Amino acid sequence: MGEAIVITSGKGGVGKTTTTANLGTALALQGKKVCLVDTDIGLRNLDLVLGLDNRIIYDLVDVINGRCKVHQALVRDKRVDEKLFLLPAAQTTDKNAVTPEQMKSLIDELKREYDYVLIDCPAGIEQGYKNAVAGADRAIVVTTPEISAVRDADRIIGLLEKEAIEPPKLIINRIRKDLMKNGDTMDITEITTHLSIDLLGIIIDNEEVISSSNKGEPIVMDPNNKASLGYRNIARRILGESVPLMTLEDQQKGMFKKLISIFSK
Amino acid sequence: MKKQLVHIKGTKEGLVLRLDDQCAYADLVEELSHKVSEGSIDGIVDVQLHLGNRYLSNEQQVELINIVENSGSMQVAKLHSDVIPIIESNEKLITEQYDTYVGIVRSGQVLKSAGDIIVIGDVNPNGQVEAVGNIYVLGNLRGIVHAGIEGNRDAIVAASQFKPTHVLIADSIEIMSNESPVVQNSSEQLFAYLNRDGIISYERLQEVRKIRPFFNKVKGGS
Ligand SMILES: Nc1ncnc2c1ncn2[C@@H]1O[C@H](COP(=O)(O)OP(=O)(O)O)[C@@H](O)[C@H]1O
Ligand SMILES: [Mg+2]
Repeated sequence: MGEAIVITSGKGGVGKTTTTANLGTALALQGKKVCLVDTDIGLRNLDLVLGLDNRIIYDLVDVINGRCKVHQALVRDKRVDEKLFLLPAAQTTDKNAVTPEQMKSLIDELKREYDYVLIDCPAGIEQGYKNAVAGADRAIVVTTPEISAVRDADRIIGLLEKEAIEPPKLIINRIRKDLMKNGDTMDITEITTHLSIDLLGIIIDNEEVISSSNKGEPIVMDPNNKASLGYRNIARRILGESVPLMTLEDQQKGMFKKLISIFSK
Repeated sequence: MKKQLVHIKGTKEGLVLRLDDQCAYADLVEELSHKVSEGSIDGIVDVQLHLGNRYLSNEQQVELINIVENSGSMQVAKLHSDVIPIIESNEKLITEQYDTYVGIVRSGQVLKSAGDIIVIGDVNPNGQVEAVGNIYVLGNLRGIVHAGIEGNRDAIVAASQFKPTHVLIADSIEIMSNESPVVQNSSEQLFAYLNRDGIISYERLQEVRKIRPFFNKVKGGS
């Protein structure tokens, strides 16, 4: 029996879809069988980030309405040998086409086949959020260091804490060292003390994340990229390894390299 | 001999009128009117009315006070009864109770208390705490707090780190902004209260004992 993890944030555009694609790929690269579920009905784009958009035949609403079997709707990612699958969101229907109960039984069904079911959540706290959380065992909250994103993360964490799931874990995405140093954004300690939840990992802001998404190839496929390393580390932490938090300093400034000690598990 | 319904006793603080609590109210009124018109006192003395186990409505209280004060030489300083109605007693119980909340009041959450509340944890921005009584935050207060929400103007808000965005006490509101340098720059534990002019003011937590001495319910500390 696998585990279902919802990736959520409250605010849009902070990197939920990017995180889902990259963590899913990283877990599959580690040999786990992974199914990604796009619940952003009406605004699907997880398929694009994975470069699977032109292979979609059926979608999540087709499965729930019984127009096809689950396995018929799943799109296989050929890059990661028989390990990574996507259940795309419907593009046309509205998000009230699905109920939380239906989502839960779908996720439960997928958990029987897959080690990890990653659920990409839409922005907001409405129906789409409720559907996405319904089948989850755990939650990952994604935020950026901006105050508005952190506020929304706080709101979502409050809602998640009322669900019968494990305490949510945090990913801080799009970290810009220069802004953080000058106090132009909140720093890592400020964010984690504000939100008082465990930090799962940090991802730096990196242009290649955007260009690789546009090419339909998750950045995590590139072993030398620093954002990629962040995602790989998080995947290993999900698998139970203890990996120290990566440093924000550049490698050449090795003398001043400072390990951030908040993630020391 | 007929039982006396009104006993008069002199004390240091003035006269105490002990009123019988078994007889009919009408009889009591009659005897009281009679008794207070008898005496001949120079000047005005303070009088305490002790009702024992008798419960009086507001109108009856006023009636008795008027009878006593119409004598011209007495002034009612205090009216004391050993009984209160169950409704009043229940209300007292609720507002005198303490609620304890362990956790974080996050953005969008509202925590309510019918009495005083102690929050062990933070109140985050956009998080809200409302209490009929006082609010004490053992943590970082950065949200919205409303003490004395049903009109208690004695209510206070205290916090380990006092950085709320909005403070409300009874029907007064204060939006904390950079214009409140007292609060912005203070590294001390603060509390907010309504001063005599009905304006929300801030003081070091240590000053509660001077500003609201009646909060203290524990004797001693020796
Ligand atoms: N670490 C990062 N560095 C640079 N750009 C990023 C990063 N993470 C996400 N992005 C970009 O931010 C935008 C929004 O990301 P997306 O994953 O679609 O957010 P969401 O699903 O939360 O709405 C996308 O253009 C994405 O490429
Ligand atoms: Mg998205």
